[in-house]
Amino acid sequence: MNEKFSMTVARRGQRSLAPAFSLLLAFWFVGARTADAAVAVGAGIAQSKHNLSISGTGKIRADVSAGDNTGSELCIFCHTPHSASGQVAMWNRFDSGASYIPYRSTTTKAIIGQPTGASRLCLSCHDGTVALGMVRSRRTSIAMQSVAANLPHGRSYLGTDLSDDHPVSFQYTAALAAQQGDLQRPPRSGPVHLDANSEMQCTTCHDPHGNSYEKFLVMDNTGSALCLTCHNPESWLQSAHSYSPKRWNGLAPNPWPHTSQKSVAANGCENCHSPHNAGGKQRLLNFAEEEQNCFPCHNGNVAAKNLEVEFNKASVHPVINTTGVHDPAEPTLASAGVTRHVECADCHDPHAANSTGKTTPQAVSGALAGVRGVNASGAKISPITYEYELCFRCHGDTAKGPARVSRQFPQLNTRLEFQDVNGQNSFHPVVLPGKNPNVPSLKPPWTSASQMTCGDCHNNDRGPGAGGVGPAGPHGSAYAPLLERPLSFADTAANPANSALCFKCHDFVNNAWRDHLRHIGYTACGTCHDPHGSPNAHLMNFDPSIVAGARNYQSTGTGHGTCTLLCHGKEHTATSY
Amino acid sequence: MRNSLLGCLVFAALVTGAASAMAAGTITGTPHDLSGKGWGTTELCKFCHTPHLAQSVAGAPLWNHDSTKQSYTLYTSSTFKGNSTQPGPQSKLCLSCHDGTVAIDSFANAGIVQSGTHTMISIGATTNLIGGGGSLTSDHPISFTYNGALATLDGHLATPVSANFVDAANQIPLYNNPGRSSQLECASCHAVHDNTYGKFLRIANTGSALCLTCHQK
Repeated sequence: MNEKFSMTVARRGQRSLAPAFSLLLAFWFVGARTADAAVAVGAGIAQSKHNLSISGTGKIRADVSAGDNTGSELCIFCHTPHSASGQVAMWNRFDSGASYIPYRSTTTKAIIGQPTGASRLCLSCHDGTVALGMVRSRRTSIAMQSVAANLPHGRSYLGTDLSDDHPVSFQYTAALAAQQGDLQRPPRSGPVHLDANSEMQCTTCHDPHGNSYEKFLVMDNTGSALCLTCHNPESWLQSAHSYSPKRWNGLAPNPWPHTSQKSVAANGCENCHSPHNAGGKQRLLNFAEEEQNCFPCHNGNVAAKNLEVEFNKASVHPVINTTGVHDPAEPTLASAGVTRHVECADCHDPHAANSTGKTTPQAVSGALAGVRGVNASGAKISPITYEYELCFRCHGDTAKGPARVSRQFPQLNTRLEFQDVNGQNSFHPVVLPGKNPNVPSLKPPWTSASQMTCGDCHNNDRGPGAGGVGPAGPHGSAYAPLLERPLSFADTAANPANSALCFKCHDFVNNAWRDHLRHIGYTACGTCHDPHGSPNAHLMNFDPSIVAGARNYQSTGTGHGTCTLLCHGKEHTATSY
Repeated sequence: MRNSLLGCLVFAALVTGAASAMAAGTITGTPHDLSGKGWGTTELCKFCHTPHLAQSVAGAPLWNHDSTKQSYTLYTSSTFKGNSTQPGPQSKLCLSCHDGTVAIDSFANAGIVQSGTHTMISIGATTNLIGGGGSLTSDHPISFTYNGALATLDGHLATPVSANFVDAANQIPLYNNPGRSSQLECASCHAVHDNTYGKFLRIANTGSALCLTCHQK
């Protein structure tokens, strides 16, 4: 290095303007070329991977042995002070000319076309189609070290398929923000900025000249502060994903492979989303398989409970069965063209979910915060106010398979099973309060005035409701149909063990009918009772595969009724009690 | 030849006395040494200067070259905050050869204009054509006020140490013309008489050091 230049940079270091930068630069230029380890994390381009000259410290840089055509200059890879070829803005690169596949999603309202403006400049390296050393001001390309004639594949390689990258080159207006609904108004000042045409570009988030914050970001993205400059998901600050201090226990897989952040709160959006090279293109999810965006944390390695194993049980909400079927833009109500499916996001809103418990037995827990459903009347509701409204979205009016247990009065619409359709119905008090004040079998704390939730019966067999330590909620159970405890519908089922679910709340011995024990010692509760609801009293709705004859039950007052039927070869003819 | 060279050196020292940190090189043998071209003179300085009967051209020391009358389309960008005007007098001297509208060998002193025939275009030096067709849109902006206010506005520029120089080492000069001070001109980056660092740059551009003197990237 010539003495004069050393003096120049040394003197620059004495000046008051941006002293930190000048000192860093001076240090690097004057003495640090052979002592890279001593270079602090630099703010300037010279210390960044964008220094492609021979003085670069990254893997991708000019070949020092290329004679006259070495890249000793730093700016030249992008800029030239004079461009005889008429390129504007002193740009020294050739336009890629590639035709790009832009980002598309069913939920974005932005109009996204081919990249424009500054983004094209970035892509002239980052799409991998143009040699890094090919600049307009040189007749032949600047020779690069062998690994990198073009940008090699890696996280910064975007290719020409931009459908897995955050959209760029769209106008971000107040109108778009209003239409989209979960966007802030366009930024007007500060590091996150739009271009002169109000378009979002690569440079909105990235400063190619400065790497003070990793990945050339224009600001620190801890807690997704950069993302949230524009994005404003409803209820995000209520979501545990925004504030949980939980950290990874170190067991594979790494839940945060593309960030250097160490907690859920610090990762923010990037717990689930990748702004580039996303596995799930639409909405830029980390993985194409929807549930895989949840499992890397909800497997006991970050979140306390292991939910991933729940889905290996005999009876599950089958989130692993489908990929690419779920679409957040799908209608709430049953609709032609929507395939029946379930993903984690059908029941949980990751932008709102939290660990807040229920405030009342029927209230919705924080785990279900912000989700939509179908209310008791069959109308869509968002967000739900009762848990059953979530269940009714799929287990109410939507098409489904044959009944699990045949009934003399079939009803495949679970929502209607809990209704008092003709004033004569009986039902478990999920939607409506119970009608029968005389239920002596109820175990404390249950009373005839209690109401319950779907989750009181349909839940994890190893969850807290079953006295276990597993996660709460109907993710998976050893007992179909996703029941907290065993419930057999077989005629030979000896009780109480085989109807353990019923005896969670109802006493096996002490109940309203003195002859109960004579029946349920031999057959399932479900042979006579339809647990959701029945058009008859006392949930009476015989299973015709077991009960024959007239199958007539009539309530004749508190503690009294008559049966006319044929069962186990025993004929009842208006047999009363 | 030897006498004319010596004269040139003395002359250069006289007219460029403001530059305190001159590099060691000379113009002799550089691309700006046109004495051997056979373009009507064997003198070196004559292409720009004359000791007597010089034209009175603003910013031009003892000027002996015909001037361009070109009007230019200026550099613009959404992020450039400078107040560029048509090229200032210092830069106009350069453009009087480099825009291709005036022959390099068009001498013009106070008495006579001696039109030449060799333009940047006719000699095929198109890579050195600056402002060709009247376009400066793809060239670094010039003739704008580079002061602390601009540096603040831009956010990524060094603040010039004075109205005369960008840097404390006084290697990158600014020019003060009537009504417009602290102007960045061609000669801020280029030392027309000295090709020590190639491209007549004022300092070596290894690691883009010249660029980074102003641009704090």
